[in-house]
Amino acid sequence: MRRFRLGLTARIVAVLVVLGVAVFPLYWMLVTALSSNGDLFAERPRLTPDIGRFGVFVEALAEGKAAGWLLNSLVIAVGTMVLSVGLGIPLGYALSRFSFRGKAVLTVVLLFTQMLPEALMVVPLFALFRRFDLLDSLTGLVLVNSAFVLPIVALILKGAIDGIPRELEEAGRADGARPFTVLTRINLPLIAPSIAATAVIAFFHAWNEYVFAVTFIFDPELQPASVGIANFIGELGTPIQTVMAVAFLFTLPAVAFYLLAQKYVVSGMTAGAVKG
Amino acid sequence: MTVLEQTGAPKTIRRSGGRHRPSPLGSKWTPYLFLAPAALFILVFQAVPLAQEVYLSFTRTTLLNPTRSEWVGLDNFNRIFGDPDFHRTLLITFVYVIACVVGAVGTGLVVALLLNKGFRGRGVARALVTVPWAAPGIAVALIATWMLNAQYGIVNRLLNAIGLGVPGGAILDSPRYALPAVLATTIWQLFPFTSVVLLSALQAVPQDLHEAATVDGAGRWATFRAVTWQVIKPTVGLLALLMTIWSLRRFELIWLMTKGGPVGATETLVIDLYSQAFDSKELGSAAAIGMVGVVISLIVITGSRLVARAVEKEDVR
Repeated sequence: MRRFRLGLTARIVAVLVVLGVAVFPLYWMLVTALSSNGDLFAERPRLTPDIGRFGVFVEALAEGKAAGWLLNSLVIAVGTMVLSVGLGIPLGYALSRFSFRGKAVLTVVLLFTQMLPEALMVVPLFALFRRFDLLDSLTGLVLVNSAFVLPIVALILKGAIDGIPRELEEAGRADGARPFTVLTRINLPLIAPSIAATAVIAFFHAWNEYVFAVTFIFDPELQPASVGIANFIGELGTPIQTVMAVAFLFTLPAVAFYLLAQKYVVSGMTAGAVKG
Repeated sequence: MTVLEQTGAPKTIRRSGGRHRPSPLGSKWTPYLFLAPAALFILVFQAVPLAQEVYLSFTRTTLLNPTRSEWVGLDNFNRIFGDPDFHRTLLITFVYVIACVVGAVGTGLVVALLLNKGFRGRGVARALVTVPWAAPGIAVALIATWMLNAQYGIVNRLLNAIGLGVPGGAILDSPRYALPAVLATTIWQLFPFTSVVLLSALQAVPQDLHEAATVDGAGRWATFRAVTWQVIKPTVGLLALLMTIWSLRRFELIWLMTKGGPVGATETLVIDLYSQAFDSKELGSAAAIGMVGVVISLIVITGSRLVARAVEKEDVR
């Protein structure tokens, strides 16, 4: 009995340590945002957020360019989400339900793209963007981000459609429905959770994207938050509280959204990964 | 519900109506209509640029005059492979990738085993543990840099308090500690993913088998090896492969924390290629470095497939 007790206590302590490690950096972001200069640079820093200084978030949004950054990020992320899921659904459907020439090649290409670093592709894409006047444009970022997240979106949706019994479709087809109608009326409602998961994945792929944004956008007005926040690193002009407040506002929706959709995202990610 | 109602109906309708309308373009083309937009996208934004990079790797091209390329054959490859700095880059990449795989999968497994047992608040614990994975990489790099700040960072304050402080305190400026710090940050961000995936794999472990082994007097370690490990082995392999590929292409976190420094201590292939392209302005060498990375990834993927197949055969026997 005694051994059992000890084991239980050790387990509880271990779980608490893991949770502490997992959450502490974001907690520390919040504490830093809500500390006075005195607290930050004192011999012993404060370890709890000073809720009274909550105004720092309002100031960060009102004074600086942070609100504009977050808005740009939102535009890019929503655009990428709509475009990549919109293109990924028919691609996933084609891969799941049809046999056609070049299918094997296409599947290998989709998997292959998963290992291409953005940093490698940024040079030729820069040339492409210049030729088509897509530099300094949020549309350009939506296009390139969609192309990069599209393979994983399509593979996840293919896996989801694979799970729908074909009989349901055959029924629809026998009714005289065209393939497109079969897809929209029969398949889509059934894979709604997977669509939600891919939407979340695509949204945050674009929300977090940095390399393309920092290379293709010169106009400060068009900068997304990822670039704005990255520029804070090593820069000394902005008060650290403002920096952390903006970073926290950038992080919070990602974490909150993810926690809400977690069940679907994880199963989607692993399903997509298993194909790899 | 409507879907279920439809399943009952088809045959009758087909017979009575004969309304079957063939697609105007013929069914042979239907799949291509579905995939054409996406395929075009991938062609324009992935395939063509990659082909251009392959071409660039055999040329001398500078960022200042990117449209003028001079074909130099294998010169770029000969040069980078003769460069001791590149050997260091390969070594750092190797260390970084292996440490990420072992660290992320190992930590993930320990955490998954911890959270697999039923206890009050397990749901909350499982949700909280995924927070690092959900946080944007940029924000992670920023907070890590602040926590590791030489003077005011919490990490140094703690290390100093227990007498383990790094001399001078600047962890990210130290050739010795920069890589471990970047690695710790990377693993911190990855372990939620591996543990959540392993946690779902653990659900497949048959509990009665577990109990049987325990009753038979098998120790914890023996039970783990005989029962649990057998079930989660494929998942562990898959995660190791994923971690390898992701780590080979990881950029922002390393770039924003150290830019590959100090003195190349954290310079992986991707960091090297980016600084070749944008600091040294040598697009040809950058492309060649990128190709080395792509080939390594391909070797890893092919190798893992072969290993997986061999293991399967072994298991069948």
